[in-house]
Amino acid sequence: MKLDTLVSEYQQQRLLADTRRQFLKTCSTGLGGFFLGDHLLRAATGGATTGLDTHHTSKVKRVIYLHMIGAPSQLELFDYKPELEKLDGQACPQEYLEGKRFAFIQGTPNLMGPQAKFSQHGESGAWISDRFPNLHQHADDLCFIKTMQTDQFNHGPAQLMVHTGHAQLGYPSAGSWVTWGMGSENEDLPGFMVLLSGGRLPRVGKALWGSGFLPSVYQGVQCRSVGDPVLNVSNPTGSDRGIRRSALDALRRLNQETHSEFGDPETLTRIAQYEMAYRMQAAVPDVMTIDTEPADVHEMYGTSPGKESFANNCLLARRLVERGVRFVQLFDWGWDSHGASKSEALNDGFLKKCDQVDRPISALLTDLKQRGLLEDTLVVWGGEFGRTPMRENRGGKEMALRGRDHNPGAFTLWMAGAGVKAGTTYGETDSIGYGAASDPVKLHDFHATMLHLLGFDHKRLAVNFQGLQQRLTGVHPAHVVQGVLA
Amino acid sequence: MLPYKTQTFARSSTFSALILAGVGWACAEPLVLDPVDFARDIRPILNAKCTGCHGGVKQAGGVSFVYRDQVIDYEGKSGLPVVVPGNIDESEMLFRITLPSDDDEVMPPVEDHPEGLTDEEVALITRWIEEGASWKQHWSFEKPERPELPTLSEAYEAIEPIDFFIRARLEHEGLMPSERARPGRLLRRIALDLNGIPPSLEELDAFELAWSVDPRAAVESEIDERLGRESFGEKWATMWLDLIRYADSRGLGQDGRRTIWPYRDWVIGALNDDLPFDEFSIKQLAGDLLPEPKLTDLIATAAHRNTQTNNEGGTDDEEFRIEAVVDRVNTTWQTWGAMTFGCVQCHDHPYEEFRHDEYYEFMALFNNTADNDLRDDAPLLSVPNKSSEYDRAHALDREVAWLQEDLWTRGIEAAGVGSWRPIEPDSLTTDNGNKLEPRVVDGLPGFGTAGTISRGPVYDLQYPVPADQSAITGLRFTAYPKDPDKALKDSEWGFEITSLEAALIDAEGNATPIPFAASVADVPWLPHAPQKLIAADGKGFAAYTRMHRARQIVLIPDAPIEAAGKTLQLKIGNKTVILGSFPLVIHQGTLEISSHQALTDFVSDSAIGDLRGQVAARIKERKAIPSTAIPTMAERPAAVNRPTHVFGRGNFLEKEAEVEAGIPFSLELNEEGIPDRLAMAEWWFHPDHPLTARVFVNRLWEQLFGTGIVTTLEDFGSSGEKPSHPELLDYLALRFAEDYDWSIKAILREIMLSETYWQSPVVSSELVERDPANRFLARGPRPRLSAEVLRDQALAISGLLTEKVGGPPVHPPIPEGVWKPFQGGDKWDTPAPGQPDRYRRSIYTYTKRSIPYPTFATFDAPSREFCNPRRLVSNTPLQALVMMNDAVFAEAAAGLARRMKYDSEGTVAERLEQGYRIATSMRPSTAKLDELLRLYEELEARYTAEPELKRGMAGTPDGAAYTIVAQVMLNLDEVITK
Repeated sequence: MKLDTLVSEYQQQRLLADTRRQFLKTCSTGLGGFFLGDHLLRAATGGATTGLDTHHTSKVKRVIYLHMIGAPSQLELFDYKPELEKLDGQACPQEYLEGKRFAFIQGTPNLMGPQAKFSQHGESGAWISDRFPNLHQHADDLCFIKTMQTDQFNHGPAQLMVHTGHAQLGYPSAGSWVTWGMGSENEDLPGFMVLLSGGRLPRVGKALWGSGFLPSVYQGVQCRSVGDPVLNVSNPTGSDRGIRRSALDALRRLNQETHSEFGDPETLTRIAQYEMAYRMQAAVPDVMTIDTEPADVHEMYGTSPGKESFANNCLLARRLVERGVRFVQLFDWGWDSHGASKSEALNDGFLKKCDQVDRPISALLTDLKQRGLLEDTLVVWGGEFGRTPMRENRGGKEMALRGRDHNPGAFTLWMAGAGVKAGTTYGETDSIGYGAASDPVKLHDFHATMLHLLGFDHKRLAVNFQGLQQRLTGVHPAHVVQGVLA
Repeated sequence: MLPYKTQTFARSSTFSALILAGVGWACAEPLVLDPVDFARDIRPILNAKCTGCHGGVKQAGGVSFVYRDQVIDYEGKSGLPVVVPGNIDESEMLFRITLPSDDDEVMPPVEDHPEGLTDEEVALITRWIEEGASWKQHWSFEKPERPELPTLSEAYEAIEPIDFFIRARLEHEGLMPSERARPGRLLRRIALDLNGIPPSLEELDAFELAWSVDPRAAVESEIDERLGRESFGEKWATMWLDLIRYADSRGLGQDGRRTIWPYRDWVIGALNDDLPFDEFSIKQLAGDLLPEPKLTDLIATAAHRNTQTNNEGGTDDEEFRIEAVVDRVNTTWQTWGAMTFGCVQCHDHPYEEFRHDEYYEFMALFNNTADNDLRDDAPLLSVPNKSSEYDRAHALDREVAWLQEDLWTRGIEAAGVGSWRPIEPDSLTTDNGNKLEPRVVDGLPGFGTAGTISRGPVYDLQYPVPADQSAITGLRFTAYPKDPDKALKDSEWGFEITSLEAALIDAEGNATPIPFAASVADVPWLPHAPQKLIAADGKGFAAYTRMHRARQIVLIPDAPIEAAGKTLQLKIGNKTVILGSFPLVIHQGTLEISSHQALTDFVSDSAIGDLRGQVAARIKERKAIPSTAIPTMAERPAAVNRPTHVFGRGNFLEKEAEVEAGIPFSLELNEEGIPDRLAMAEWWFHPDHPLTARVFVNRLWEQLFGTGIVTTLEDFGSSGEKPSHPELLDYLALRFAEDYDWSIKAILREIMLSETYWQSPVVSSELVERDPANRFLARGPRPRLSAEVLRDQALAISGLLTEKVGGPPVHPPIPEGVWKPFQGGDKWDTPAPGQPDRYRRSIYTYTKRSIPYPTFATFDAPSREFCNPRRLVSNTPLQALVMMNDAVFAEAAAGLARRMKYDSEGTVAERLEQGYRIATSMRPSTAKLDELLRLYEELEARYTAEPELKRGMAGTPDGAAYTIVAQVMLNLDEVITK
């Protein structure tokens, strides 16, 4: 069958699917009906997925989300607390400890002042510490939320909260909701891609980019530095692109025969998916090969091709959004600065982590800006909770190295790019940076805000599953943070 | 007349003839409106327009349309009756819904429901009230009724009862059933459904021959034979393991390895033995509580030890123990009842008649198991590696338990004789700066900790012994929670005595050590060895890791100690720190002494020595049996039970009223109440239980047809879908539960012997449009195969499959870069090509929750963190990449190529035809064979011209060409679908 005949078949199928959706809308309310309709509709359009209608117009077309796994200390980076400096070494007042649960702090810990030097930058006068010297130049591009709050204080559940809006496993990730809502802009690449650095996988693994009860086509596709950049994207030994083309042509014709015999529309979808897979086989290695970037770009990011690094991933993030990937999720491992070992001490490993990410983050912002991409791309940076103003005293004893325990009561997240008010700081923490003094922002509020920036009302971006209208923001009230919108 | 009630499945074909003479069918058309049926006509309106504010979660004005008693003759906060049956004028509800839309009091409020109620809806509600406002339960809460078989206008030959229900609906819809599938395709369907692998060529030939003689006899004998194969259990276990969230890792946090595969093998074996579903279930839910449990009954209880544990540093064992208990509650309701009971954890159910408190009453049934999120998964059961050793091992376990209980009882009795005298410490110090202070605890003089607790203290406690004290025969030490009243609700971190040295100090300061002959703990058993003060494995007397209640241990010296006027010194080590964070230390303690002879008698009694000798001998014998330890369920002794409280808004830190164990009122089926897990397990199989049989036959139906009779396998509640064939569902449920005594094989057999199951999947575009999901079943099923079956099929087609049942998980090839476990020591060791374990059935693949096997994840297999009631089938480009490029499928293609090149005869075309038939169970059409041949020739020419290209894949151009053609065959739509 010729390709153009195939295309017209798709169009017919799509019409058919529309009818089906209508049918399912009127005939069923449950999950099954929903998925079938949705799935057939999307799949029948071929490789790329189409989105829903947005709820309002929006400038943001794609998202790059930089998650520092382990929870970076806001008190050493952005939330400057001179008062805490004065209290350094003093026993923490009981009022801060009563009724609180900690992961590691025992008894009465001491307060600990900022372990970095802070200064103000840009016209906005944003406080950024000397740990992120390159980022100083972007002070006026950033919109800080200083009063982020979560209700989880262990890493696994807290990371799930950030990415799925729920502390339990099994819910769709923000990237899945967004690609489900917006569809894909690229015919050859998945809409939601995930890049990891820091040597370790997050604890709950791929649940952080899973599609939960949304169709699996919306789950994040992990790009890898070792082996195939996307699993199974290269041909097995003995096959090249020409042979694969011949094989796929034969397969298409055979499946077309099957379709004429059985009339099952899924057969046509399958043909289309094999074609997209073939295109991905070319597109993925192409986008993932950074060798072709000019020397000044490598210099700017601090990249070295072939390595697994956060710098490489930042450059890849730019290349992916440039090609229309909808949601690019970066995870960088190693930010859990308890002070229990060198690698996780504020006066050791933390310094190295800061060095590793400062330059590439700054380069990414510069690069996106130069290419005009920051006008319709949203960049988000954050962790899964904050860290305590108290110095950690694991087992009730002062530790040799310096660290801070988990603090769900306050952490800093920043956004840059399309739709956000650049050069602002939203929310203020108390004098020691322990909790919100004004304008607390729950993770659900942040999710509502992010969806709003993408053109969606968080209450309406929902599917019915197990008797509930399921949303990224869950069943609890959530508010768009108007103060961060441009 | 219910002719089938007495029939057994073995006689089902004669039975069809009986059915033909069946009586008229009072089939209700789904949308008949007269008279008003509450469940069908009214509840959907209430759920759509009212329960958002007047439901289980929000109950505005005190009115809830979920509960009859908050509607009928009920005055809400307004003081006006919501609905008065038969009286439309007095019913406030009707008044409010008929107000003009601009009235402030109109219901539903315009801002929430701008669409309002339609005239038809108002008319229905009016009629419902006029007719007496009957309040019927949701359909799935009414017990199934034996339906009468429908009469059909067409006369069909020899169809089965199931077909009557299906065809009645088809007639109603104006649709025709499809013809029978061709024999090869039907055999493939039967083989994949029963055994998870396609038929061999020999089986195909034999079946086609038998079919030509007598199709029904051919199918019947095929089904019977295949039900008896061991691969039946391997295929059907997957569906169960999805529900019971089986995995070989612990989940959350660190996701380390968990050894629990003997449970997986138990499921496979139970299915193969056709263990009736009631026994199958009761053993899993409460096998440990059966009167005389067998070892296999204990293995079965590992079902609910598949919950996740969190061993991340700094995590609260109580929080994650509760999460596991909550998961057991939710999984139980989901698996056996298809109910979203989890909703009730935080509030009353939004739609069903389940109250918030009832969640915790049910949770109380699970709240007293001995596990508590421990790193080693305790309590563990040692399962012999050879099942032939089960009986001997189990007999030894029981003897040891019995002897130990006997020993303990004697000790407790000795400790209970006479009185204990409290003594007061005069010196309390520690070796690490921790502070201890004298404190009266529970009315006794004792000690307590003060200030910050550092890890690992050794307490030095000194007690002057009164001058009038007779020789001491025993010490009784009690450790208390910091806040005993609060700990009963919110357990505290416990303690562990890691060392204990006792000495007697005289006036000159000379210390004489006191050796102890025995210790008797307050409970006979806990997972963390309390039998001895310090056990051989180094574990000490402990509340490990949490404590709800004070704990006590009696120490008996070798001989009575003359201590009057001297000082008794106890040095107690508290070295345990768990999860890198929490020191387990004694926070409050008291010491009492006794002079009663009974204690000395206890340690000097030679019978005690004998008992101990017997215990040691049996433990030694038991340890010599090579075994694998797996987590199982066990109840804690009553003396240390955990009270259960309602959690405010589902938050375990907000404990409200204490509750007794029980099941929800709306499903109470007997008067006796449900005191324990075993009673709860049996309750699911009460003859009047409306859910269990329906839910399970619906799951079986979905496995065969790709869609359930109730599409929402996971929700039989009022927010789920209604059954497409309600009478058929009831028929199957009663057939399964009553006629077949819960035999899974028997009910499967009956379904598969229906003409409905035999239908061809060919579909016209009109029918696709009319019934895209095939809910009417006017055609045969053609769903995509599951992840596991796709891989197993490829291995079978290629001739590589290793048919070995059971054993530890295996590690087939996995793409490079995938295996990066959080714990570095967790290795993925793939056997070399040619090794049998490389080609085992997919069910044996190591299941790690945080790193699911990529092929399975890509084909929609769940990662098994939680109960997964239904797999959603997707169709994605990543699946194409797996099937075309993954090492497993590449190896399979090479295998199929070898079968064409070496194991077949004739021309290339004949060999390709053979290969096609191996892959699809069908002979190719001329067009398809031409296509395959054309591809083969093109490839052979290419590989001949460029010999380098085939390197690493094949040695000869024709071998290379066969390999690529085989790859195409494995990727055919006909191979990927059933």
